[in-house]
Amino acid sequence: MARSNEVNLNECKMVVPLNTWVLISNFKLAYNLLRRPDGTFNRHLAEFLDRKVPANANPVDGVFSFDVLIDRGTSLLCRIYRPATAEEPQPNVAELEKPVAAEVVPVIIFFHGGSFAHSSANSAIYDTLCRRLVGLCKAVVVSVNYRRAPENRYPCAYDDGWTALKWVNSRPWLQSQKDSKVHIYLAGDSSGGNIAHHVALRAIDSGIDVLGNILLNPMFGGQERTESEQRLDGKYFVTLRDRDWYWRAYLPEGEDRDHHACNPFGPNGRSLEGINFPKSLVVVAGFDLIQDWQLAYVDGLKKAGQEVKLLYMEQATIGFYLLPNNNHFHTVMDEISKFV
Amino acid sequence: MVLYDSTALAGNSSGSSSSSSSKPPPPPLQPQQQQEIDGLLAGAGYKVRSSELRKVAQRLERLETAMVNSPADFSQLASDTIHYNPSDLASWVDSLLSEFAQPPTCPSEFVMDPVTNQTVVNDAWTTTEPNMPQVHQNISYEQQSLNNQLTVVTAMEEDSGIRLVHMLMTCAECIQRGDFPLATSFLEDMQGLLTRVNTVCGIGKVAGHFIDALGRRIFQGIGGGSINGGSAYENEILYHHFYEACPYLKFAHFTANQAILEAFDGHDCVHVVDFNLMHGLQWPALIQALALRPGGPPLLRLTGIGPPSPDGRDSLREIGLRLAELARSVNVRFAFRGVAASRLEDVKPWMLEVNPKESVAVNSIMQLHRLLGSEPNRNSPVETVLSWIRSLNPKIMTVVEQEANHNQPGFLDRFTEALHYYSTMFDSLEACTVQPDKALAEIYIQREITNVVSCEGSARVERHEPLARWRTRLSGAGFRPLHLGSNAYKQASMLLTLFSAEGYSVEENDGCLTLGWHSRPLIAASAWQALSDAPAEFPAPDTHRPS
Repeated sequence: MARSNEVNLNECKMVVPLNTWVLISNFKLAYNLLRRPDGTFNRHLAEFLDRKVPANANPVDGVFSFDVLIDRGTSLLCRIYRPATAEEPQPNVAELEKPVAAEVVPVIIFFHGGSFAHSSANSAIYDTLCRRLVGLCKAVVVSVNYRRAPENRYPCAYDDGWTALKWVNSRPWLQSQKDSKVHIYLAGDSSGGNIAHHVALRAIDSGIDVLGNILLNPMFGGQERTESEQRLDGKYFVTLRDRDWYWRAYLPEGEDRDHHACNPFGPNGRSLEGINFPKSLVVVAGFDLIQDWQLAYVDGLKKAGQEVKLLYMEQATIGFYLLPNNNHFHTVMDEISKFV
Repeated sequence: MVLYDSTALAGNSSGSSSSSSSKPPPPPLQPQQQQEIDGLLAGAGYKVRSSELRKVAQRLERLETAMVNSPADFSQLASDTIHYNPSDLASWVDSLLSEFAQPPTCPSEFVMDPVTNQTVVNDAWTTTEPNMPQVHQNISYEQQSLNNQLTVVTAMEEDSGIRLVHMLMTCAECIQRGDFPLATSFLEDMQGLLTRVNTVCGIGKVAGHFIDALGRRIFQGIGGGSINGGSAYENEILYHHFYEACPYLKFAHFTANQAILEAFDGHDCVHVVDFNLMHGLQWPALIQALALRPGGPPLLRLTGIGPPSPDGRDSLREIGLRLAELARSVNVRFAFRGVAASRLEDVKPWMLEVNPKESVAVNSIMQLHRLLGSEPNRNSPVETVLSWIRSLNPKIMTVVEQEANHNQPGFLDRFTEALHYYSTMFDSLEACTVQPDKALAEIYIQREITNVVSCEGSARVERHEPLARWRTRLSGAGFRPLHLGSNAYKQASMLLTLFSAEGYSVEENDGCLTLGWHSRPLIAASAWQALSDAPAEFPAPDTHRPS
């Protein structure tokens, strides 16, 4: 086993730039220290190791941010990112919630990744990503600091996402001038992608319009072991064992991976035929071991007659969108800006 | 000057002699290098020199292999290691590797139990790598973060407060421009508006105090007036209630004590200099921890600095007596000295009577900022004080400061920052329901607000500066950071769970710890050691035999 793993390390080193390799390997190592075999999680160490950044009301590269507590009961925080306007390069602090100026301003509700257990809205890697999205899409980005597993299992993350959606939808200052409505998109990577799907599901029949879903390497799974899982297990930073651990940590106790949260088009999923579901942009990395589930998700949407665009990045590993040092990154960012 | 020596009262403990396990001398001061850091990793919160990337990658690989080969050892590593400064990725990986390579020794580590103020012996293994900080590299990344003057902001939730905020800002702007008549009319409007705004939480709660402070500035001028003249006695009472009502001071004491305890490990004559004794709330826990340490307690001297008592009472001595009583009850040889001074800059090092053979800890809880002058010049009090602290060659200097930028020259900027800082702090007080702690804590905070907003020059003593600035200042004054590790972090987090409010959070920041409300850090704790120009003196082994 050790020998084949040594080979694997060399393989994945060849497909990513060195600093990306260092970053993701560091996460992999740290995450290994945090997951306990008994299913508990070393939350103190996780928070200690996580690199966080504060919000900054002074624009940096044209983007400023501030945090809002949107639900006291659950301590639900969101970090809001806005473009600084030319006339007011330094926003007056009372004008953080100044109405959006343009005819149409997309508001992207972003759910960070971390397999439901790791990271926060104020994690450095996600703060950086959200700032990029603002400039890219000329959007306001709302990053949700949802409750995490294993302390908070299904459906807490979805509940928090739903709370955030309702909050965003009801902010007068986020309404586009054109139609006095909030133009909402849901986005997320890894577990965040999964959350985006399920929040969009909950929004159906609620009267809240979600204009589109952007899913980056979304986290889905199932009981079956797919071909990609077997082929890529342990080869590119991720193992099946850790995937299983995270599902066990998030799903209700006793449930298996065919639970609809994990496997939305599986035996326990809900049919989306004839449903008014938002159009989706799904990005799948060619070296992600769960790609068969992600591709099945895309298929499921297609079969239900839903609009979906698949971006399959052959040579990409997980986390490729965290650093802008590869072609996949730029391709994906391009597609996202066109989508919104 | 007050002297009290309680050696006669404190019992003689049978302190066993411990071999002097002095730490190895710090590495010689490296020339400060501006080495290039990988910019993309910096954006992710990690400082790695580009030239070191390959080396770090190799070490990560080795760790990975080790992990695969002996998973049992790895999970042991996981639960017992103390981690330091994760931003310095190279050091973090190295320390894990060295931890993994050798079986850890097993000195027991004692931790402070925040509930009972007792020390609990903990069998956790410490990392074999001693708590030796890396030589603090001066890197361009640090410079950048200082220049940007980051403002951390949490938005107000109450829509009704927005108009009030507008007016507060406009009024402050008028004052900055010198347009006092207009400012006055805004003041009147705001006072009216206040009656119609929700004052239970968020901005409404704190607005009243800011309106008040603006009023003082307009009508009473910037000399401070009566608010600064609160008697020492009053200040102590308010401080004590602030201590009870929210966790900031407890966090400060707890974190500082833990660092001091570790620094004093293996030393038999120790001397703590407290820059602001107050009721000595910080010290019972340290005394008890020292009492329980393996190998027996050291001789502990405590020098407490505080303002003189006007009415003939000797409050410093009274506190000293109480602490001595406590020390006696747990068999710690203890001596107390009080140094009365109305300003910290009036204290001279000879007053502290530091013995060259003892290990010194200097403890400054929210005192250093008071030394920052209104004009940054060569001989500002802070530089003088830092210089004599250094001359004492302390084993450790613990510094806790408000994490805020309240010393900006522009009034409007300062006002804006204070508005956000204090509304967050007030919000966090919501967690406290105990009266009169809460009400008096609010008054304690109100005094700070008033000083920041309505005073200038020497009257303005609340000159809070953020951690990034203190880092530069202290590094420049010849100190280097001692990193606070994951054990201190964990204990601080656990301390917080004793408070029913969900919302307090401890964060690690480049070797320091901050405590904040939701995502906004409000108070920062750090530890420092003086760099000596010559290689550090290795005390001869027999110097530490107890007398």
